[in-house]
Amino acid sequence: MGFLYPGGLIFFVIVPVLIGAYLARERPARVIVSSAAAFRALRGFRRERFGGLPRLDWTFFLETLVLCLAVLAIAGVYVLRPSNPLAVVIDNSAAMQAKTSSGQSRFQLALAKVDAMLADEDGGSPVYVYVSAPQPHRFGAPYSTITEARAALAGLNPIDAPNQQSAVTAMLTDIASEGRFNRIIYAGANAFAAPIPPKIHAIAVGDAVPNAGIGSFSLRREAFGAEALHAALTVGNFSTESKTFEVAISGDGRELARAKLALGPGETGAVEFPSLAPAGIYRAELTPPDDFALDNVAYATAGAVRSVPIVFVSPTPRDADGLDSIPGVSVTTRTPDSFTPADLAAADLAIFEYTVPKDLPPVNSLLVMPPASDPVFDFTTTAAAPLQIAGWRNTDPLSDSINFRLLNLQRGEYLAQNQWMSAVVSGDGGALMLRGERGGHRFVATGFNPFPYLGRRNLPMSILTLNALGYLAGLGQSSAGFRTGQPWLVPAGVTRVILPSGRKRRTTPGTLFTDVDQQGVYDLETGDGSRTPRAINLADLSVSDLQNLPQFRIETTGGAEVQPANEKSSLSSDLIIAIIALLTLEALIAYRRRRRILAEA
Amino acid sequence: MFGLPDEFTPTFLAHLERLRFRTRQQFAGMGKGAHLSPKRGSSLEFSDYRHYSPGDDFRYIDWGLYGRTDKVYIKLFKEEEDLLTYVFLDASASMAYPAADNKFHAAMLTALALSYIALASGDRVMLRVLAGSKQTVEPTFVFGRHRIVELARRVEGLKPTGEYDFASTLSKELAAIRRAGKVFIVSDFLMMLNSITKGLSLFLAATMDVTAVQILGGRELAAQGLDGDVEVVDSESGERVRVSISERERRRYRETMLRLTRQIKSFCLKRGLHYSLYTTDNDFQQFFLRAVSELGLAH
Repeated sequence: MGFLYPGGLIFFVIVPVLIGAYLARERPARVIVSSAAAFRALRGFRRERFGGLPRLDWTFFLETLVLCLAVLAIAGVYVLRPSNPLAVVIDNSAAMQAKTSSGQSRFQLALAKVDAMLADEDGGSPVYVYVSAPQPHRFGAPYSTITEARAALAGLNPIDAPNQQSAVTAMLTDIASEGRFNRIIYAGANAFAAPIPPKIHAIAVGDAVPNAGIGSFSLRREAFGAEALHAALTVGNFSTESKTFEVAISGDGRELARAKLALGPGETGAVEFPSLAPAGIYRAELTPPDDFALDNVAYATAGAVRSVPIVFVSPTPRDADGLDSIPGVSVTTRTPDSFTPADLAAADLAIFEYTVPKDLPPVNSLLVMPPASDPVFDFTTTAAAPLQIAGWRNTDPLSDSINFRLLNLQRGEYLAQNQWMSAVVSGDGGALMLRGERGGHRFVATGFNPFPYLGRRNLPMSILTLNALGYLAGLGQSSAGFRTGQPWLVPAGVTRVILPSGRKRRTTPGTLFTDVDQQGVYDLETGDGSRTPRAINLADLSVSDLQNLPQFRIETTGGAEVQPANEKSSLSSDLIIAIIALLTLEALIAYRRRRRILAEA
Repeated sequence: MFGLPDEFTPTFLAHLERLRFRTRQQFAGMGKGAHLSPKRGSSLEFSDYRHYSPGDDFRYIDWGLYGRTDKVYIKLFKEEEDLLTYVFLDASASMAYPAADNKFHAAMLTALALSYIALASGDRVMLRVLAGSKQTVEPTFVFGRHRIVELARRVEGLKPTGEYDFASTLSKELAAIRRAGKVFIVSDFLMMLNSITKGLSLFLAATMDVTAVQILGGRELAAQGLDGDVEVVDSESGERVRVSISERERRRYRETMLRLTRQIKSFCLKRGLHYSLYTTDNDFQQFFLRAVSELGLAH
């Protein structure tokens, strides 16, 4: 036992002063009597008033005790407890959901083994519990007894996120290097590579589980405006046998397509569904089922299925009429005078024809024949008629599938080289099409106006236009998708996210959303109540390989020896609780006594 | 019962009717009554002789004395008149505390019981109130037992409040009543002792036959309900005294109170006054049965 702040004991000096204040502050009950004459005679006998001897009743001793406890709390009295805590590291990653041959999941098996081991430990040792996923971290506050730790462990469940191998290894290395831990119990799927630090007791529940899983499930729209979607899945067979798998795709609960795939041991294959009917949420299911059900299902949502909102800003808004003929596009027109940046809040992309915005727009934008020398883009233009195309990039999404020799540009302007935009199509007098990225957004500038030529009469121009719009709308690209355990930025306007479990989380746009431990479809809700689904899937196929798990390699250092340590356990909080309880008790008793006196008098 | 307090049961009233006032001297009354008067009258009790004068009723000539002395004397007899009874009821604020003791109610019962004894004996009663909220009682003599209901109604309308100086108040009262008679003072006598003795001495000097009835509360006498640090406030003067009451202080307080009553009693007995103490924790009817002689009463 000792004092964290021995200087606090100086306050014992003021205890007599406080006792005096106690005597002075006591306010007597006021009672009307027939005559005070007889009481006057008692004054000579009083001993309780300030300056006299204190009346040594229970209140006096109680308050003196409270004062002494307060001084001890200020001085920070502590007791020393032997503190070589026990660390328990539990692998709670998605792989721990796999069922073992005993019928239990890996996680249940690991918990049972850890619990049995803790039951044999000294009950008074503090226990630190760590979990490995989605990021390795300590679970809860340190538990002061084994019983508390066992109760906490019983409430743990595996999540749908994978382990980050390097992070888990780093954490294990750190706690193994700390001298304070007496023992480290690890229970998980991965085994340890020799040499294993002596204080680590590893419980490996990573028996090989033959498994097959879906690695990725992506959708893309082959062409801008096309209704049908192209789905691509990767399937891995991590077993020792060749198998034939079947993948079924359903959209909004209705089966849309089905395909079979034969894969050899350890082989990975791809399944494609080139023309899936539009739906809000797609679900892929792999059969036959196996002992790790999580990766047999994958979800996808087609953002392009919804209409693409476009803001068209032009002094001649009628030029946008041709865009309306493209399926899945909704166009809002503005003149340069009526346009405000707020118009872009609900737009996926903007088109500025013969004009440019005053600030860099917060959405992907197409600039058609922009004026020269604007402060934002600072284009340099040279008017010309007709325009001659001299060259183009062959491997560019903007120039894909276009026969530029058939493109006949009657009039327009050449664009000089821009600081942050590069030429995709060039002419004799300069660039005819530029593209670049700034502020996280894509920008395309053209020296000609494609809109009057949309349609079958000028097929190259139509393809070029659709390429540009598709590039700016982010379509036609394979999306990596969202993965469990990987936070993402909350999109603009989203105020609430509804998890697959149905629970709701309030969000702030622009901040990281970290509650991504479940596989499934999350609904992103905006302030006006509209919802956008977002599919979150398990990570890539490396997680599905439950047969060839990598081993942890712990680099031990000299500090690995257990150093006997004592922990100073402060009693200040206990003392404060005791003080509050005593004062409450005194107040209650004093109040009741006062009421009784007044009632009886 | 019939407009009287509940304590005035038929049995109690019958008991009161058997009681008579006992006076230590003779007082002149205002009409015929049952008490000997210093006046010469026609009662059977011999008083004196005087020489016969022409015109005297010769039926009162003492013929035996004439035979022995050869002189004619007339026998004189005492007159029997009613007794003028004054009941002073203390209605000051101190009579209201402690409220649980109902001191004023006990004092009111005492005053009414004494008044009823007088009225039942054919005497005249004047009820006078010391202090009090409003004087609902007229300071006039009432006569006849039926007037007790009227007195009871008026007394019940009193509320104890205010303060008074005992000696100076009694001095004024003495000047107002003029005629001597039987005086009952019903009070808690919680005042300075010299004021009490001074006031009572005034009545003695006026040849009054005085009975002091002290009414104290049972809880008041024991300082019951007072515990720990208490600021007591005098109900009349407003004086505040901070005391800390424990068992020892409570005992000393009781001793002080009892000493005060002993001093009053001692003064009364030495000066030929009647004195009786009634504490409200005792039964009122029992008190009247037992304190007959102390109250200056006789069967």
